[in-house]
Amino acid sequence: MARRMSWLPTGHLPRVLMIEGSRKLGLALLPLAFLLLMSVLPLLRLLQEGQGSISPDLLRDHYLQWRISWSLLQAAASCVAALLIGLPIAWCLARYHFPCRSLTLRLLMLPFVMPTLVAAMGVLALFGPHGLLGINLQDTPWLLLYGNLFFNLPLVIRAACEGLAQIPASRLAAARTLGATPWRVFWRVEWPAVRPWLWSALCLVFLYCFSGFGLALLLGGQRYATVEVEIYQLVAYELNLADAGALAMLMLLLTGAMAALYAWLERRLAAPLKVDPLPPRRPQGREWLQLLAALGMLLLFAGLPLLAVLWRAGQAWAGSGFSLLQDEDVRLALGNTARFSLLALLLAAVLGWLHALAARGGLCLRALAFLPFVVSPVCVAFGLLLLYPQWSASLWLLLASYALLAYPFVARSLAGALDSLPAHWPQAARSLGARPWRVFYRVEWPLLRPAFRRGLAFAAATALGEFAVTLFLSRPEWLTLTTLIYQRLGRPGAENAGSAMLLSCLLMLLALLAFLIIEWPSAAQAAERREP
Amino acid sequence: MLQLEQVCKRFAHKRVADGISLQLQAGEVLALLGPSGCGKSSLLKMIAGLEQPDSGRLLFAGEDLAAIPVEARRFALMFQDFALFPHLDVLGNVCFGLIERGLSRVAARQQAQDCLQQLGLAGMEARRVWTLSGGEQQRVALARALVTRPRLLLLDEPFSSLDADLRRQLQQEFRQQLRAAGMPAILVTHDREEAFALADRVAVLRDGHIVQCATPAQLLAAPATPWLARFIGYENVLEEGVVPEHALRLGPDQPAAEVRRIIQLADGVRVCVVSAAGELTLTLSARELRQYAAGLAVGSLLHVGIDRAAMLRYATG
Repeated sequence: MARRMSWLPTGHLPRVLMIEGSRKLGLALLPLAFLLLMSVLPLLRLLQEGQGSISPDLLRDHYLQWRISWSLLQAAASCVAALLIGLPIAWCLARYHFPCRSLTLRLLMLPFVMPTLVAAMGVLALFGPHGLLGINLQDTPWLLLYGNLFFNLPLVIRAACEGLAQIPASRLAAARTLGATPWRVFWRVEWPAVRPWLWSALCLVFLYCFSGFGLALLLGGQRYATVEVEIYQLVAYELNLADAGALAMLMLLLTGAMAALYAWLERRLAAPLKVDPLPPRRPQGREWLQLLAALGMLLLFAGLPLLAVLWRAGQAWAGSGFSLLQDEDVRLALGNTARFSLLALLLAAVLGWLHALAARGGLCLRALAFLPFVVSPVCVAFGLLLLYPQWSASLWLLLASYALLAYPFVARSLAGALDSLPAHWPQAARSLGARPWRVFYRVEWPLLRPAFRRGLAFAAATALGEFAVTLFLSRPEWLTLTTLIYQRLGRPGAENAGSAMLLSCLLMLLALLAFLIIEWPSAAQAAERREP
Repeated sequence: MLQLEQVCKRFAHKRVADGISLQLQAGEVLALLGPSGCGKSSLLKMIAGLEQPDSGRLLFAGEDLAAIPVEARRFALMFQDFALFPHLDVLGNVCFGLIERGLSRVAARQQAQDCLQQLGLAGMEARRVWTLSGGEQQRVALARALVTRPRLLLLDEPFSSLDADLRRQLQQEFRQQLRAAGMPAILVTHDREEAFALADRVAVLRDGHIVQCATPAQLLAAPATPWLARFIGYENVLEEGVVPEHALRLGPDQPAAEVRRIIQLADGVRVCVVSAAGELTLTLSARELRQYAAGLAVGSLLHVGIDRAAMLRYATG
């Protein structure tokens, strides 16, 4: 799911302030008001609700105790597993050269745009009842842990690869000549250097697993669901707002603490320097086995669920063909998904531009763009319902929450590109006779376009796969692809299962499209590659 | 001690070593000198064991190095950027090799402290490496390399990231320390002054082969090729030999040459003339310049001749 992208660094501190204070404030007004109305106030309202009802009795309840400890436990277990599995894979990817290496590194981005629902369907297709592998893990903790790894293993791997690439080759060679064996070099030089990158990545992994909703709802079953699922069920089925509020407040405090820890860890990371990293080399002898094992593990955890969706959808297609998709609900869901995503994208583009321009030079606004990434969608949706009960049937509330989740991608991507734009290029254009808007049109816009496109693609992937908020605010006429899949999954019969799988496959293909747009090299990059 | 026999290595498009043979005596300092891309760094990496040669043999004390991994060769390599470990303090860096060689932490710290003291770094044990100046970093890197008593010291442009004054001062210190340790060393550099100042012998490399390997005095007295003569700093290089400054004769009985360029120096001028023998560059002191009452100007004539007997002939073989 796309909100996992947030850890990727967006660039360095700005070099110049191109827009003076008062105009910046004007630009920031709209995004700030939006953030205030759509996330800060709802969360404050939620805190208020929780404050009244939190009591020691609630925490003494065994059922809730289990929910909370399991939420923490599964997040911690996912972190440990992601570290133990991810680090060796990352080492092999960073150090060995093999055919399709750069493609593999690019494909690691795929889970970042995959909707949670698609991943959950893939996991169920593999290890659910009548799973492809013949092992039924339903109602065990493994299903959720496996799903967590699908999303979070690539995050840890990418972070570790980045950390490994920051170690100069000379430092490794120095350690070797001083008598360290390759294993000792890893232990005494590479591990200390990669550690800070791993801690900050694991911090996010913990945050996402702990506050995960979609995976836990579909894979956790009765016993292994998380607190987020509990909040949803309390609100949606039991109408027990008091307990839900107390739990949500607990969640907010814990995730807030984790987010603060993450921000602190991230700031400690050294700014990327220009170093000569060790070039990857061809593995020799037993090293091939190492590499193959690493790639096998990668496929098992990060590729298999998607392949399973494809396979199962193919089976369903072969069985009943197009007829599974020919009904009123599918048409409604497709239309809604397209409509909501487009409108959300429009909002996200406007808000993203304003935020990025206003954030030039301001760390504070930059950090605020991070807010929608770390707050859980369930908490936001719950807060919105509490704060604006009169608008719960308004489509604009839904669209605004889509935009809230999507626009930070545009803002962060653009802010990074703006920072890397040297001030003297526009200055040169001005001195060559271009008026300000011509400077924008002929110099800045062509340079910012790739970042804008990437940001929009992430935003689109977020909107397409949005599940938590949609489920919370859902009304029958707002059926989207994700909620339809969830509905079909809950109904009995092979026909429903088949159509859920086909719809998941469709959603996966849409996410793939977003992925292609993100990873498609821009013209400049392509030219750079042609002339090494 | 170290012997290279017909070592060849090529990367995708480039031959970095083309049948290189070399010998290093005990206690000797050898410089590998050449322009960038001549293959000198790759040769150093092959000696260290970081790269494997495609063919040829490397021997140390009669033992073939092919099967010996980097860490077991006991050759210390010092890098251009010093490659100090940022997660360790100064003492931790110097201890690194000792601990890898199996010393206890206490013994390693003791030895490292002694070594730091010898190199004038006492009291810096707990400093973080990024707070050190360039010269201090260089000394810490040297301490880290020397403390393990390597059989051979390999140096990859160890002075090139320092500024000129500091470089000269450290080169002198360095030369004394190497002498005192009696350790053989191979120094890679593109700076001829550094090579001549530090090395007993200099091997000049070009495109993966050795053009000439001799003592600095021999190199200067009889360079092997015109290219090499230019590379080690001679200005007037002719087909038949090198014309050093003292082989140029001035005076009315010499043939006339046209002045092309004049560069003012602190104590004279450097003049570039076109003579019958070709383009020549000569330096005139302020005293010599006074002979020319009319002064020198571009386009005017200067009488310059070559004393053939004082010319340097190219070494053969």
